[in-house]
Amino acid sequence: MIRTMLALGKLQLQRYNIYKMNFYLFTLNRIIEILVYIFVWQAIYYQTGDAGGFTIQEMTTYYILVITISSFALWGVNEDMAHSIRNGQINRELLNPISYFKYYFGIYLGELAFAIIIGGATFIICSFLFEIVLPQNLINVLLSMFIIILGVPITFFFQMIVGIAGFYTDSIWGMQILRKAIIQIFSGIIAPITLFPMWFQELSKWLPFKELIYTPVSIWLGDISMNDIVFIILKQAIWGIILYFIAKKFFNHAIKNITINGG
Amino acid sequence: MKQVLHNISLYLSFLKISLKEILIYRVDCIVGIFSELVVEGVSLIFIFIVFRNTDNLAGWNFQQILLLYGVTRISLGIVGYCFDGLYDIGPKYMRNGDFDKILLRPVHPLVSIIGASKEFVALTDFFIGIGITIYMLIQLAIPITFLLIFKIVFFSIVGALIIGAINTIFSISSFWTYRSNEVIWSFYRIYTFAQYPIDIYNAFIKIIITVILPFAFVAYYPTMEYLGFNKYMIYLSPVVAIVLWIIAIKLWNLALNKYRSTGT
Repeated sequence: MIRTMLALGKLQLQRYNIYKMNFYLFTLNRIIEILVYIFVWQAIYYQTGDAGGFTIQEMTTYYILVITISSFALWGVNEDMAHSIRNGQINRELLNPISYFKYYFGIYLGELAFAIIIGGATFIICSFLFEIVLPQNLINVLLSMFIIILGVPITFFFQMIVGIAGFYTDSIWGMQILRKAIIQIFSGIIAPITLFPMWFQELSKWLPFKELIYTPVSIWLGDISMNDIVFIILKQAIWGIILYFIAKKFFNHAIKNITINGG
Repeated sequence: MKQVLHNISLYLSFLKISLKEILIYRVDCIVGIFSELVVEGVSLIFIFIVFRNTDNLAGWNFQQILLLYGVTRISLGIVGYCFDGLYDIGPKYMRNGDFDKILLRPVHPLVSIIGASKEFVALTDFFIGIGITIYMLIQLAIPITFLLIFKIVFFSIVGALIIGAINTIFSISSFWTYRSNEVIWSFYRIYTFAQYPIDIYNAFIKIIITVILPFAFVAYYPTMEYLGFNKYMIYLSPVVAIVLWIIAIKLWNLALNKYRSTGT
């Protein structure tokens, strides 16, 4: 089963390889995105001597790491799911000997592989352009990675829920944008969570999205204590299970109501 | 010159037809507007967060930055609405050979492509832009005179033309790649730099957004004029727009001569 999923992932990755140009453009685009943020904070830092409680090197590192790992949280299989619902290919996907969830998880692995390549390239280019704050010890790096991996089921099941909504509505374009916006706002892509109003911080403490980006980056920067990490790991595990059950239940309900477009 | 005017009037009649299409795709339209609002929200949150930490950015206060944001949106809305067709050149025309059909028409292909499709959703940007602009003008106690309204209308259209020309230049890539959208989109995104005072950037980026891809003339210099920061740069905007369009059309025609059909 795992071999099938890996093979699907490899196929997905190869699809990206066809358009090499995209790779360069994606990287360029992402660097532009953070350059704006970094320059704005630099201006503030030189004016006030303080960039939202960070030094400017920390703030720069924050955004570079954000852009390095944000594709793990944002990219996914929703476009593919929507596409196959629209042209009736879903028929075949449902009849596959591999389950619908596993099939898409395989494809998602391919997306993740591409995200790692793009993220790595972005990080390397940015490390030439800016001074990056390195973590104090190796444990922090490993812990960050562990938290990122814990986020994978959460992003995946969240995507499946959005994708399955397409069984009813045929078009998930709007929901897909909403999903990305929720993640962007609550995960700390726009700015570190500590800069948001208090009520927002309290809310995001209980939601799983902060852990996709803000927490791993903060662990890298050494801003999170070990006590919090236990809570975070527990919270992510529970959210993963909750989302899994919601996605499964939703799928079982949706499958009874689906109308398949003749492909 | 006569031919240019003829092409423009043709384009306007295309525009009128496509407005009627809104009524056909009502649901898509609502979803699109909603998603556009979400995207706007995300960029506004960043501005709010920034001004929780400082009271000015390179001498611009919160209201002034938002005015710049609003004025930028007006132009972006017009571009999104009027020049959306450029994104179709690669995937819709080149790849399946429909481009040959367009070449046979007695109109310049650029006009029929740009005229053929419209993105209504972009009008959300346009109206949000107008809303924010008016609100901030009131907040900043800038008297809304007839002259100011005229300037905003005129220079928003000029700004849209500047971005339109830049997009047209990059759409040439679709003659070779058959996938123009990513290329156009990537360079178009550079406008984000011009949403903030350019004094915050280093020399390299300043040169890019004022000379190489002159996005600063879209909204930044006009806004400076509305705020009374800089009185003269604004009048370069129309010149920039005209020069860019001459370059764009020359390059496009050059590429057109080299065009080979995919043969499908």
